Amino acid sequence: MAFDIDRYTATSVSVHWDDLDLEDFRDHPLLAGALRTLRYMADVEYHTVCYTRDLLTTPSHREADVSAFMTMWNREEFWHGEALAAVLAMHDITVDYDALKASRLKLGWKDRLDPIKQSVLGSLVGSDFVAVHMTWGAANEWSAITAYQRMAELEEHPVLAELLRRIAKQEARHVAFYTSQARDRLAASTKAQKITRFALSRFWAPVGSSINSTDDVRHVMTHLMSGPEGRRAARKVDDSISGMPGLDGLTIVQDALDGLGIPA
Amino acid sequence: MEPAAFDVREFARTAQGSLRDDLDLTRYAAAPLRGDVVRVLDALAVLEGATMAHLRNVLVTPTHKDARVTAFLVTWAYEKFWIADALRAIVAANGGAPRGWSGAASDAGTHRRAASAGRGPVRRALAGFAQGWPVIGVHMTVGLVDDWMLRAAYERVARASANDALDAVLRRILDVKERHTRFFQEEASRRLAASPKAAGLARRELARTVWPLGSTVLGRDDRDDLVRFVFGGSEGDVLAARLERDIADLPGLDRRAAASVLRGLAGGPAA
Repeated sequence: MAFDIDRYTATSVSVHWDDLDLEDFRDHPLLAGALRTLRYMADVEYHTVCYTRDLLTTPSHREADVSAFMTMWNREEFWHGEALAAVLAMHDITVDYDALKASRLKLGWKDRLDPIKQSVLGSLVGSDFVAVHMTWGAANEWSAITAYQRMAELEEHPVLAELLRRIAKQEARHVAFYTSQARDRLAASTKAQKITRFALSRFWAPVGSSINSTDDVRHVMTHLMSGPEGRRAARKVDDSISGMPGLDGLTIVQDALDGLGIPA
Repeated sequence: MEPAAFDVREFARTAQGSLRDDLDLTRYAAAPLRGDVVRVLDALAVLEGATMAHLRNVLVTPTHKDARVTAFLVTWAYEKFWIADALRAIVAANGGAPRGWSGAASDAGTHRRAASAGRGPVRRALAGFAQGWPVIGVHMTVGLVDDWMLRAAYERVARASANDALDAVLRRILDVKERHTRFFQEEASRRLAASPKAAGLARRELARTVWPLGSTVLGRDDRDDLVRFVFGGSEGDVLAARLERDIADLPGLDRRAAASVLRGLAGGPAA
């Protein structure tokens, strides 16, 4: 089904939590491990604008629908960061602009070269490269939804669960955009399928890998995706990805967990 | 550097979304806008909506590291999206066919070259390495000058159209944009004052920018028409003089830098 961009932009709002009793965290705080995962999630959400930059270096930005989507998407994700930061603040963990800037500074050269690499690849491969970005985006959004659902299940904290449910609901609309874009582009071109398959199987890593230490990634994946339940969730994401045209058999999430040594 | 006063969190929290409910589009049936005014509004919609292309040019440089600046830009793009939407609705209500929206025909290659304004992401990213942190001051200055130009455009349109319905909308739009200008002005001033390198780079960038930002997408003729409409005639002279004075008054800039912007406006990039 085609994604209705006008409807999406007209109904895009920042996630709200005014009605949630965050004070409840004072009496029923999250444990250190969960807070570390939450901090990771907040970083990823705040960083969305930096992924936008990579997406924008490819030809896709010239399309009005993509541009409109990205404007709203960026803002929604920024507010997810703010919402998670509000929960962290109840645990006396401050995520301010200086802290975010410091973590962006740690990225160093790899991050500096990213837009160049992306742009060169984009112009070499041409418009089929957009399919890679859209599929990549879909994989990341599916992972994000799964991560929020797992977090809600594991922590059994009603206030947190409700906030994460609201965030995941918005992520579901992002999935709808990315999958509709990706499906169309993959279905239209076997070259796009081949390039996307290659890029995902070779380069995909869990969301946030490029902006966090391997220790942090391993912590979050172990927290959320280990054990039979975690694996089942990972398999579900893989099933969604491999259901796209030309991507059957891909198991990038499970492969990534194996690569990190996350116990099944 | 001077401490920053602008509250980005408050700005993000109180962002202005769609203006559609306040447009009162039925009023144009009885009092339609002049053709040249509709064309200028159409061009302004394209410029206001060109945020993603601009973000790309900005975010491939060290500016993307500054989380406060990127937080501002996220909301800035959102508000400009809805300004562009309002302008397109007014154009359509006056019998125009707004450009730059879903289904609008455009030659992809041309558009891409136009959006990069002669310098693609690779060149900008490489330049960003050498420019380092002062490049943030450059981007803030460019954003500020662009805001000043568009403010002049809205003022000129309001005077030329003498239409109550449009007047009310333009006042709303200028209110929304006032916060953008305030942020850019504060950031440009403190960064230019703190770094002679930023001021030097800003002088260079002002001289070679195609003004207004995003106008390469319009095509040469439409861009020239827009500039003539805003800065032509004796009223335009007053607005141009104000722009020149405002630029020259920024720390580290001078009349020469200001003149380079006006030269660029008159005939494309000066350098």
